[in-house]
Amino acid sequence: MNRRDEILAIVLSALESLNEELDEAARVEIGPTTPLFGADATLDSLSLVSVIVDVETALTMKWDAPISLTDDRAMSREVSPFDDVGTLTDYILELLQETSPA
Amino acid sequence: MDLYLGKTALVTGATRGVGRIIAEHFLDEGAAVVGFARGEPTLTAAAYHHVQVDLADPMAIQKAFLGLHKQVASLDIVVNNAAVLTSQYAMIMPPAAAQAMVNVNLLAPFIVSREAAKFMRKSKWGRIINIGSMAVSLEPMGDSVYAATKAGLSTLANVMAKEFGPMNVTCNTLGITAIESDMLAQLPRDKIEAIIASLPAPRFATPADILNVVDFFAAEASSYVTAQTVYLGGVN
Repeated sequence: MNRRDEILAIVLSALESLNEELDEAARVEIGPTTPLFGADATLDSLSLVSVIVDVETALTMKWDAPISLTDDRAMSREVSPFDDVGTLTDYILELLQETSPA
Repeated sequence: MDLYLGKTALVTGATRGVGRIIAEHFLDEGAAVVGFARGEPTLTAAAYHHVQVDLADPMAIQKAFLGLHKQVASLDIVVNNAAVLTSQYAMIMPPAAAQAMVNVNLLAPFIVSREAAKFMRKSKWGRIINIGSMAVSLEPMGDSVYAATKAGLSTLANVMAKEFGPMNVTCNTLGITAIESDMLAQLPRDKIEAIIASLPAPRFATPADILNVVDFFAAEASSYVTAQTVYLGGVN
């Protein structure tokens, strides 16, 4: 499994954990293009926070380095890293290349 | 009595004063305790794990939690106790002293609570207890920044109570009066005794007074008690 696939697995796992906490009607469809933020997203803000926290924790434990997904850099990008699962995965890959080069 | 058997508690400022009283109590009642403090440990117990961390440094706190994830599987109770106090009239308060109070008394509890909530989220159980002060109500001259940070602590807990409530994490604040401690020794004794004499319960707080409310907030049965500030001594 390459690094991008590992990251994608972490993000999808966080969404699965979220779904376990939600009522059936509120659960999100999980996949590489699941919208996370914006007009097409079905997650509410606290749900997105839960996903971000779970992803950060998993990344930090796996690569033994503190990883923050919500710093100024993330917030100032033209395309939000949180648009969907794919953009988040790509953003995390970019961060990891800097902090823990493969 | 083993009130806290199987639980892991984190206490900031665990090496002396109120923090040490609380840490010792948790240990006596069967908890594993993590102590965050700037100095060397003053508690020796098999179930005590000391982390030397400068609570005035947000990055140091986050780094401490990174290490903690490798040491403990869960974190159930957090007591934000560490605080610094410089009493000085506002017009001559050194900005550095004011900044230190903001960093240790308010920002550090925010970061500790936030990082602890990430643990508590996994277990869907948690108790965050902030140690506040009667200064919030009494608003003594010379304590503008200190009282403001302690007032902020209550609001911090109240808002976090809303955010963390769905995770079964309660957030409360205990406003203590005066207890014999290093912090109290910094203040003019006659001034403190005059304040104590004016309280509805005109005496110094005892460890039992503080632990009584800490135990109440931390109890399993207190899952419906959140976003509350309890003051000792009749302060309101």
